[in-house]
Amino acid sequence: MMKTKKWKKWLVAGVILSSLTACSTSGSNAGESDYPKKPITVVAPSGAGGGWDLTARSLTKILGETKTVDQTMTVENKPGGGGAVYLAEFATQHKKDDYKLYVNSPPILINNLKKEGNSPYGFKDTTPLAQLTKDFGAIVVKEDSKYNNLKELMDAVKKDPKSVTAAGGSAPGSMDHLVAVLPAYKSDIDPKTVKYVSYDGGGEAIAALLGGNADYIATDASAVGEYLKAGKVKVLGISSTERLKGDLADVPTFKEAGIDAEFTIWRGVFGPKEMSDSAVSYWDKTLKKLNESKEWQDELERNGWESEFKDGKEFETFLKDQEKQVEELLKSLGMNK
Amino acid sequence: MGVMDFLMQGFQTAIQPQNIFFAFIGVLIGTAVGVLPGIGPMSGVALLIPVTATFTSGMDPSAAATSSIILLAGVYYGAMYGGSTTSILLNTPGESSSVVTTLDGYQMARQGRAGAALSIAAIGSFFAGIVSIIGLVLLADPLSEMALKFGPAEYFSLMLLGLAAVSGLAGGSIAKAWMMTVTGLLIATIGIDAVSGVARFTYDIPVLFGGLEFLTVAVGLFALGEVFKTVLHKEEEAEKVAKVGRVIPSRADLKESAGPIARGSFLGFFIGVLPGAGATLASFFSYIAEKKISKNPEKFGKGAIAGVAAPESANNAASGGAMIPLLTLGIPGSGTTAILMGALIMYNVQPGPLLFSDHPDVAWGLIASMFIGNLMLLILNMPLVKVFAKIIETPAKYLLPIIIAISVFGVYAVQVTTFDLFLLIGFGLAGYLLAQNDYPIAPLVLGLVLGPMIENNMRRALTTSNGDFMVFVQQPISAFFLVCAVLWILVPFFLRLKGKNVVVNVEG
Repeated sequence: MMKTKKWKKWLVAGVILSSLTACSTSGSNAGESDYPKKPITVVAPSGAGGGWDLTARSLTKILGETKTVDQTMTVENKPGGGGAVYLAEFATQHKKDDYKLYVNSPPILINNLKKEGNSPYGFKDTTPLAQLTKDFGAIVVKEDSKYNNLKELMDAVKKDPKSVTAAGGSAPGSMDHLVAVLPAYKSDIDPKTVKYVSYDGGGEAIAALLGGNADYIATDASAVGEYLKAGKVKVLGISSTERLKGDLADVPTFKEAGIDAEFTIWRGVFGPKEMSDSAVSYWDKTLKKLNESKEWQDELERNGWESEFKDGKEFETFLKDQEKQVEELLKSLGMNK
Repeated sequence: MGVMDFLMQGFQTAIQPQNIFFAFIGVLIGTAVGVLPGIGPMSGVALLIPVTATFTSGMDPSAAATSSIILLAGVYYGAMYGGSTTSILLNTPGESSSVVTTLDGYQMARQGRAGAALSIAAIGSFFAGIVSIIGLVLLADPLSEMALKFGPAEYFSLMLLGLAAVSGLAGGSIAKAWMMTVTGLLIATIGIDAVSGVARFTYDIPVLFGGLEFLTVAVGLFALGEVFKTVLHKEEEAEKVAKVGRVIPSRADLKESAGPIARGSFLGFFIGVLPGAGATLASFFSYIAEKKISKNPEKFGKGAIAGVAAPESANNAASGGAMIPLLTLGIPGSGTTAILMGALIMYNVQPGPLLFSDHPDVAWGLIASMFIGNLMLLILNMPLVKVFAKIIETPAKYLLPIIIAISVFGVYAVQVTTFDLFLLIGFGLAGYLLAQNDYPIAPLVLGLVLGPMIENNMRRALTTSNGDFMVFVQQPISAFFLVCAVLWILVPFFLRLKGKNVVVNVEG
């Protein structure tokens, strides 16, 4: 009896000790050739279950399993403001913290450019490390919905925009919203009249759809396969240029559904703005190695993501281009800054 | 094959020696995680994911998934057991879900009944754990459907009922309780608004963008407030060193707790099923409900054992309930279940509508192991009660620095900013001043929890209804909650007008 008690005390002491060492060393980044020296946090700026979250979790999982990174990597969920809440923290409080990585996608541009609720911070307040994947938007309705294709849905919106509720896992003016209104915009409906309700992450949006609290949702194509297979939802259209493989092979693209639009959702990893050079070059090498590994490619396939790798430099150039594109899109929606 | 056959198969999986071992490690670490403020169940589970991956690396994928989820879930509900310890002994809530336990738990400890409080918390948690697992086995499907029916309007009305019931947390004056509630709601608006992304009350100060951290506020108000009080009123307190007293609750204690435990378990389980509501709300609601139906509501806040038994049962039951949307829908209801979901996905087990048909071994193995884990927790916690309860015998001059250290480390470990340490001290002072002037602290904390949920869900509901407020009364569930909320406020009022002596309004 005495023995087990002692053991418990040691365990408690150990946990305290490890938690103390974890916070005592933060912020020191002098002479970091031996980077990384301590656990790394990858932040998914949304609730769990959405695209950012899954990307962050796959990334940490494969880097850990393949022993590419020896240090422990954990995923932290920091929901709010379509990613803007955490970006503010990342760009100010953690701008020198080499041990914080940040997963984001087009919203990092959108939030910075849109008029309402814009984020004062954009990708220029970070260090883009790599683009990892591309995904597409999907328009999804409940399995017993009266809408069987994108055209029917858009006709209903056109007839009475107030009668159709759209939902998504991010704030108005952000990506899910853009995907939700894109077909409407291309069907000559004023996007501002589309009724859009934002939830904390794609998981909550799907719950709203299944519970009948939304008529259709816009979400990431990669997140709907499981619900489609279970016969819970119908997927009306995918914003890709050509048909996807796997569970969504039977779903038409927007173009095939008669809507002349496409939208690519890239996902990438960012470091803090003032990341040390040694850390930047470490991640440049590490992420390249990750992309070449078979385990990563398998993981992408399992999640229904398409691989598209750009290293830090290419990624930054690409971001500058896309920033222009998004600005044009928002302008046409009347939502630019 | 019926449910029972599946469950039996689950037990076959769960009683394999390595799975019993994993469940034990899980609940053990969970207890430690619960006891220590700062490491909540969420970070505890997250930190252990890579460790379990190493443990299970040699096994076949399905068995590895089962074993690691058994361990991680053990940490989750183990933390719910342990969370009450510092609340009761040090007035320092380790998790948000045990904030309300401080109200009566700490008073009990000061009266030398720490042992009874801790053991009733463990017994209540055990009972609640078993109830919620049985609920999970029998009601998973219908309840997941019910959880989906909860739209923004229903959430809004449920939260409003929570606010209306806040008088249940009042000390002397209802007006003071309402003032504190509104203060809590106001504080909750600080930060970048989650619906529109607009910054509110941040004055371009970056640390305010994320809002004020709940744990910082709660630990400051409760724990540091108490420290300030003890320091400033030294003479009065010097004589009193509480004795531990008996560890096993007396027959009267058990009798008094039986009802609260049972009601707390059911209430907690149903609230836990709702994604987003969670263990914190469950503990608040069950406390308020117990006080409302109690024959001696004046005892609450002064060391009523029901005030420990109910919330501790409820938060544990909620953790079981939260497994339902996770396992049947793939929708995590809380931060911790989100991490559990991530762990399952890591093993290529996708929680969701297909989990029970695609991976019955994982799902039922987990459920069966929860029975075993809860039993282990009870056996583990009862002897620990004696050890922990000794803490209360520590003289104030040693105890106060420990409380301060735990509070500071706990808050810093979560937030990692010095700003939160200043905030902690500020709220500590506020907590002292408020308590000195009989302003109850719990309503402020409840307002802080409920504020964002009320606001976001109201705006979602109104967007859907094109701005029509009738949506809140047209939905039957929502209307039901609203009626309850109105009655909760009006009934005592009218009874008093009729000259009846109503405790809620005249106490103190």
